[in-house]
Amino acid sequence: MSAAEWSRSLRLLRSELLLIAGRRRNQMGLLVLAAVPVLMAVAVKLSSSGGGQGGPDLLGSITSNGLFVPLAALGVEIGLFLPLAIAMLAGDAIAGEANTGTLRYLLTVPVGRTRLLVTKYVSLCIGALWGVAVIVVPGAIVGIAIFGTGPMLTLSGTQLPFWSAVWRVVLISLYLAAGLAALAAVGLFISTLTEQPLAATVALMIFTILSWILDTVPQLDWLHPWLLVDRWMAFIDLLRDPPFLDTIWQGLLVDIGYAVVFSLLAWARFAGKDVTN
Amino acid sequence: MTFFGEHPWTRWVAPVAALGLIGGSAVVTNQQADADPGLPSRTAAQLLADVRSADVAALSGTVVQTVDLGLPQLPGLTGGAGPGGPRAGASDGDSGMSSLATLLTGSHTWRVWLDGPTRQRLALIDGSNETDLIHHGNDLWVWSSADKSAVHRRIPTLMHPLGPGQDTRGPADLSPTVPRTPKEAASRALALIGDDTTVTTSGTASVAGRAAYELVLTPKDSATRVASVRIAIDGRRHIPVRVQVYSTKLANPAFQVGFTSIDFGRPDASIFAFTPPPGTKVTDKGTLTLPVHPSRKGATNPAPAAPGRLQGPTVVGSGWSAVLVGRLPLTAADRGTAGDPRSWLDGIRFSLPRVMGSWGRGRLLEGTLFSVVFTDGGRVAVGAVAPAQLYAALAAT
Repeated sequence: MSAAEWSRSLRLLRSELLLIAGRRRNQMGLLVLAAVPVLMAVAVKLSSSGGGQGGPDLLGSITSNGLFVPLAALGVEIGLFLPLAIAMLAGDAIAGEANTGTLRYLLTVPVGRTRLLVTKYVSLCIGALWGVAVIVVPGAIVGIAIFGTGPMLTLSGTQLPFWSAVWRVVLISLYLAAGLAALAAVGLFISTLTEQPLAATVALMIFTILSWILDTVPQLDWLHPWLLVDRWMAFIDLLRDPPFLDTIWQGLLVDIGYAVVFSLLAWARFAGKDVTN
Repeated sequence: MTFFGEHPWTRWVAPVAALGLIGGSAVVTNQQADADPGLPSRTAAQLLADVRSADVAALSGTVVQTVDLGLPQLPGLTGGAGPGGPRAGASDGDSGMSSLATLLTGSHTWRVWLDGPTRQRLALIDGSNETDLIHHGNDLWVWSSADKSAVHRRIPTLMHPLGPGQDTRGPADLSPTVPRTPKEAASRALALIGDDTTVTTSGTASVAGRAAYELVLTPKDSATRVASVRIAIDGRRHIPVRVQVYSTKLANPAFQVGFTSIDFGRPDASIFAFTPPPGTKVTDKGTLTLPVHPSRKGATNPAPAAPGRLQGPTVVGSGWSAVLVGRLPLTAADRGTAGDPRSWLDGIRFSLPRVMGSWGRGRLLEGTLFSVVFTDGGRVAVGAVAPAQLYAALAAT
């Protein structure tokens, strides 16, 4: 690619990101994502019964280290809220533009359909990272403000100093963002199939929820390694000492597989798609 | 782009090819077990000698165990029974070990670190929890993340319960009955099991991405439910890396334990260091005494013996289809606490289907590898056979 093409692509990406960031519903969505860790931290502080007994481990550990606040929030939101955020963005990406008629004008920009699709996908990946960051950063700040920064207790019974604990939180955020980016590829493909953004959003949510349900059916255990969501909760394996990376690599491999197949499907569909309105 | 412009459908080849590539590579990875990694052929005796002389002091890896014993969903399967896993030898009824009892069903992942006879660590990965067994010098720690508890024991010197099959070729072992060389031990072991078992080497396998030999033990007895036992032995380091027990009733192994990843480098010393973190419930159980396992059976019979003490058991038949008939202690004095194997046994016994015959009445536990009959008279018959043989054995004694 020449320099001019690069700058054209970057300009397209920039305008796409500004578009995403400017939408009121996206801003409200980010607010909801960020509110969960804050609510959790405040609720635990107010109940102040002390962690340890019952409940999920991450929630119970909040009181010992503020960095558990973002982790507990991620564990809760990765089930539904984060996929929903991706589904909203993916629905807007192609189907939304086709619906409002702006896709036709976008195609007159001299960048080509493939590069437009790549730009859309890159912006969705940035959106995934953004969604995770909007949980982790406020969660960490509120958590540290309320509960301080004691050494982080790993599942293996060892304690991590503050900065390696921060590093673990960063790794977990990146791991979950990778899973969401793979989900975004599925969403992008669905988005090229329809001109109704709501239909694309709902379809991706059905895909996500169905994956979670199938993942809990023991009779289908041969299918589980092939489900996108199967290894998402394995982020907890990064809280062992030393980190248990087997499951993390498996999860990333599945992510890459989904991302490649569904990006290519989206490309095959979008490059030959008739844009009518 | 012009080619795609003229033939738009050809674009769909790309995702289909990607899907095929992913599916294909997954199939290839799974079928590597059948591929010949090009190891020189060895006889069964040579392999056993190799295993005897294997010198692996340090390793780290991941072990996955899958069990499909065909047991019904039993209440209280989280009791205190000793698991059948070959690496769970240190279980002596610790409260911290209770989670290890769930190993009788499903799939489980372990992480293993070994560094010589004095430093071992075992971590059971259990969802979002972890149970660690850390042996470092004279300390034995059991850490359970679920309830943030740690149990500490002191181990007297010269006693290492977690020793990974360490060769004790000390002066004490030089009595005439003990084989002195690995070769001698191997041929003796082969002669011992040769009466009722066919031992073959079935080519090679791939375990944890490494080439391995496979030793296949096939019972000559057709009455047993054990179809074969396959032991994979690492091609270069000669340690057993996978054990599979096939049942006559299943296509997949009924019991399998093996490495999924293995590294023969020396683990970092910090892995074996354990200090109970603040806020931990620490129980000090003093010095460990030699664990006594009256019901632990010899290695030639893979049928797990019933938990609980059998009084004066009789063996009916021999070899693979041997049936153990005994009597369970049912006196009140023997009743233990909730975590006791015997009350656990009572719990499951009354949920089993009722059976009756000329031998009497009782309850039957029928699995893929073994069956158990508990009679109402307090007798119990266990064997790696079908229930009919158990009834015959009960009638005969």
